[in-house]
Amino acid sequence: MENNPVLIEYLPIAVLIGIALFFAVLLPVLSLNLGPKPKENARSKMIPYESGIVAIGEAQRRLPVKFYRIAVLFILFDVDIILLVPWAVTFRKLGLYGLAVMGIFMVLFILGDIWVWKKGILEWE
Amino acid sequence: MTPGQIALRALIVGFIVSFAIITGFAYTTLLERKVLARLQHRVGPNRAGYIPLPRRGGGPERKLLAGFLQPAADAVKLFFKEDMTPGKVDRITYTLAPMITVMPAIILLAVIPWAGEITIFGAEFTPYFAIAPGLNVAVLFLLAITSISVYGVVLAGWASNSKYAILGGIRASAQMISYELALGLTVLIPIMLADSMNLGDIVAAQANGWFVFRQPLAAIVFFIGMMAELQRAPFDLLEAEQELSAGFNVEYSGMRFGMFFMAEYMKMIIFSAIIVVLFFGGYRGPFVDQLPGLGFLYMILKIIFFLFMMIWIRASFPRFRYDQLMGLGWKRLLPISVFNFIIVAVFIVLQEEGVFDSLLKLLGVG
Amino acid sequence: MSEMILDDQPQDDGTAVNQNPVERAAALLKERFPDAVTDDTRDGYTGLMVSADKLVEVATALRDDIGFDYLSSVTGVDQINDNKMEVVYHTYSIDQGGSGLVLHVQVDRDNPVLPSLTPIWPGADFQEREAWDLLGIHFDGHHDLRRILTWDGFAGHPLRKDWKEVFYEEDHKPFGSRWPGGEVFRAEEKTVYGKNVRYPEGWLPTGDEYDVETEMYTGITYTRDQQSGMKTDKLTVNMGPQHPSTHGVFRMVVTLDGETVIDLKPVMGYLHRNHEKIGERNTFIQNLPYTDRLDYLSSMSNNHGYVLAVEKLLGSTVPERAEWIRILMVELTRICNHMWALGFLLNDLGALQTPMLYFYLERELILDFFEEAAGSRMMCNYMRFGGVAYDLPDYVREQETISFLEELIYEHIPAVLDQGDGLMTNNEIVRARSIGVGILSREDAIAYSTAGPVLRASGAQYDVRRAEPYSYYESLDFDIPVRYNGDIYDRYLIRMDEMRQSLRILEQVLPHIKATKGAPIVDGKPQYAIRMPNAGESYGRVENPKGELGYYVTTRRRESNPDRYHVRAPSFINLTPLGKMCEGHKVADIVAILGSIDIVLGEVDR
Repeated sequence: MENNPVLIEYLPIAVLIGIALFFAVLLPVLSLNLGPKPKENARSKMIPYESGIVAIGEAQRRLPVKFYRIAVLFILFDVDIILLVPWAVTFRKLGLYGLAVMGIFMVLFILGDIWVWKKGILEWE
Repeated sequence: MTPGQIALRALIVGFIVSFAIITGFAYTTLLERKVLARLQHRVGPNRAGYIPLPRRGGGPERKLLAGFLQPAADAVKLFFKEDMTPGKVDRITYTLAPMITVMPAIILLAVIPWAGEITIFGAEFTPYFAIAPGLNVAVLFLLAITSISVYGVVLAGWASNSKYAILGGIRASAQMISYELALGLTVLIPIMLADSMNLGDIVAAQANGWFVFRQPLAAIVFFIGMMAELQRAPFDLLEAEQELSAGFNVEYSGMRFGMFFMAEYMKMIIFSAIIVVLFFGGYRGPFVDQLPGLGFLYMILKIIFFLFMMIWIRASFPRFRYDQLMGLGWKRLLPISVFNFIIVAVFIVLQEEGVFDSLLKLLGVG
Repeated sequence: MSEMILDDQPQDDGTAVNQNPVERAAALLKERFPDAVTDDTRDGYTGLMVSADKLVEVATALRDDIGFDYLSSVTGVDQINDNKMEVVYHTYSIDQGGSGLVLHVQVDRDNPVLPSLTPIWPGADFQEREAWDLLGIHFDGHHDLRRILTWDGFAGHPLRKDWKEVFYEEDHKPFGSRWPGGEVFRAEEKTVYGKNVRYPEGWLPTGDEYDVETEMYTGITYTRDQQSGMKTDKLTVNMGPQHPSTHGVFRMVVTLDGETVIDLKPVMGYLHRNHEKIGERNTFIQNLPYTDRLDYLSSMSNNHGYVLAVEKLLGSTVPERAEWIRILMVELTRICNHMWALGFLLNDLGALQTPMLYFYLERELILDFFEEAAGSRMMCNYMRFGGVAYDLPDYVREQETISFLEELIYEHIPAVLDQGDGLMTNNEIVRARSIGVGILSREDAIAYSTAGPVLRASGAQYDVRRAEPYSYYESLDFDIPVRYNGDIYDRYLIRMDEMRQSLRILEQVLPHIKATKGAPIVDGKPQYAIRMPNAGESYGRVENPKGELGYYVTTRRRESNPDRYHVRAPSFINLTPLGKMCEGHKVADIVAILGSIDIVLGEVDR
């Protein structure tokens, strides 16, 4: 590690993750210990809140997520954008060649976007 | 420096900055309540703590800074409240969710440059003051860590086993997938303008003019995307009080409830810092080269400005519906940022290649 | 503000015979149904007596052929002396205006069964349920005849004259509690977590799955949807009674597919206090303060409707100054109420409390004026039979009353309305959220008996102040605003328009207030112990800010309290189409649609 300057750059981040973990554990532990304990007969407190009415059925069930196709698209597009990041750092060096290559990529990206739009996937309701 | 020294310094600076941000979070809530109150013809919290000033000629004393201890009172209250775990929740996820939400908010602090090259108590900070300076993929780091906190919200909604909470959790994921793209594309523009992913370099590149003046569109898109990412009004769908009572955190109480708020407000501060760094010159300001300590001041003032903007917007606008919000993200912001990105890229490359120079020569201007 | 149509010409009935529409309609009905329809010949009663078996035909003819297309009010009356149950229907004509045709239907008291009018007028839905709940009148063919105001386990029908409040009114008190044994189940039995329930040892209610099946959920508990490719569940969520945006303790049982509403059932009665029973026990004047508590944001209007109804029975006249003061108060109330409604509508759209608090300051001024005049800011109790309780005060907020009012009407309120208009009306998000959401067509609005801004935003230009003018409204110059899209945005705009029209009215009223200074404010001596000179029924209706507020009062001769006292509550009846309006929209829209109807639970639950 001492010989690897890249990893040394990340050392403070590892330390900070430790600090974050410390706070993230400390707060609930303090809260759970300082606050009053739940009473034995506090049953009605234990039921899920549904505007003061006892809920029917579980909440954890197969809920329809209508925008799942957009969610899939998101993953595709997000990967596309990640590909742009290294290019964005070096594109001055790559010059016109890089621009042309990325141009082809962007045309595909935009065509995909237009296709998705025309297909009506973005109109999920 | 040896790794041991680096780790020790990171530990000390990390703790100090984290404490500062946590205090900052507390006072952001006070700022929000006070500013909202003033915007709505109200007074806001004014009971907890004041500096008594005797009035000349008797009479009731004047109260200076009334309410400045309100955050402390809130914190104490949250700690001493009953922190109950409802009966039907998924216990492990329920406990983990607030932690997952808070941790990214603190980890994000690592790369933010608070001041330029500075020496404090004999410790030298180069090239700029940050917990992890010189990280050359800082922008990617920010994007990566930000996305994690949405897991906390979705898991909190799921683990609570309450219908409102689950609807809030689904909304959170919908919101995340709508705005990350625009945000990711917009972030590329300062990178291209500065030719670096290092936040220090980006700030340094703005010495001759903030990027907001060169790319106002990108700054606006980033600001909108940032508010959606932060779940601030008008995009606060997942805790829409009028619709879902409190959304994903409806089953939480005590400090575990407070942790969601903590994460939200800390992220407000950090994202304000990020937009300042990317578009508003970071810690740069008049005389900052002579007096590097001023960097902290400029940074804080600029952050407060953006906090104020967000609070102002919250007081002014109704909320979007979540299909409208997705439409805005996918049909407006994404195309805008794609074309903006292409235009910026093409212009910079053409300029680098000297096409403009030859064009101007052709026209006989140059 | 362009779609206003002046509608102050006297109605032309278009017939050669000089008959008013009501008489003509009555004659037509009697001609067509000679066996079933007769004049109501009882002393003090008007309208027609219809036999129950022909009721549906008569109502259809009335709606389709004669043009009385608006069923305003359904009232059940217990005529215990004749051993009859009576149901009174007030029908009006939206296009012709004018007074209403009253249908009385009497059925056997021991087996009161009527055909339901919900197929003809869906607006009868809640009102028939109310009559079933409080009087035990069974409506045949009603799709969902459940209790609506009292709770599910209530024993008996409290508005029946022979109903005795258990324990308190029983002749002998065999039980140690209010509930006679066996006949009733306790609320605790419906919730498994109640304190009175004894749990088995070691049983944790949250530990295992349970099913609470009440009648509420029948028909709306969906399981797997086999139609779609993915097997997903519908979700039934209760919004309310303990919910931040149901404007009180109102409950909506919402069935969701994702976040799309596929079914919504309103549940009310959490604030029920049987206002009508209280009204029957009180003397006429004792009941005035209770009317304040109906729609507690606009108590002056509530007073007005009630005194109109009782004045018709008493035959008393109102001096000029009192009438002007009444109009002044009622129109100020309208402004007050609409400011509140718009503020809350924006709040429901998610605008925090800012719009509401911006309207707050001017509302404060109006309430200060009410306080000086009536002694109370919201529960005014200001009007009296034949006048008002007190003359206007000399000073309001240390300013002369007239100059205070002039400042209020000419400066403060127009300024705040312009400000609100500028801040909210063209806001992109407000428009995106409200245009095209919660649409109620003109036909539906009329069929569902909606009233007030909800009706007028759907394109029906109907306002009691013009259709059947009371007080001095006939001589005042103002327009009835109307909008045609029937969505949330139109309901928002119509309230803005109405506030401006109210200002127009107030500007005309002020000179009269000035001119009549010192004139008497009550007809003759103030009366406290009233004995009704004649038996009879009367229906006093006013245009409350929320819609048509009607009081149906019947009395017997020399009685000091009403025999039957019924309130046609606009908030309550405007809720009837809520489920229809919400279908297909998102959860977020429910709240906004509810906000655009503008309900007050004090009036809904009574």
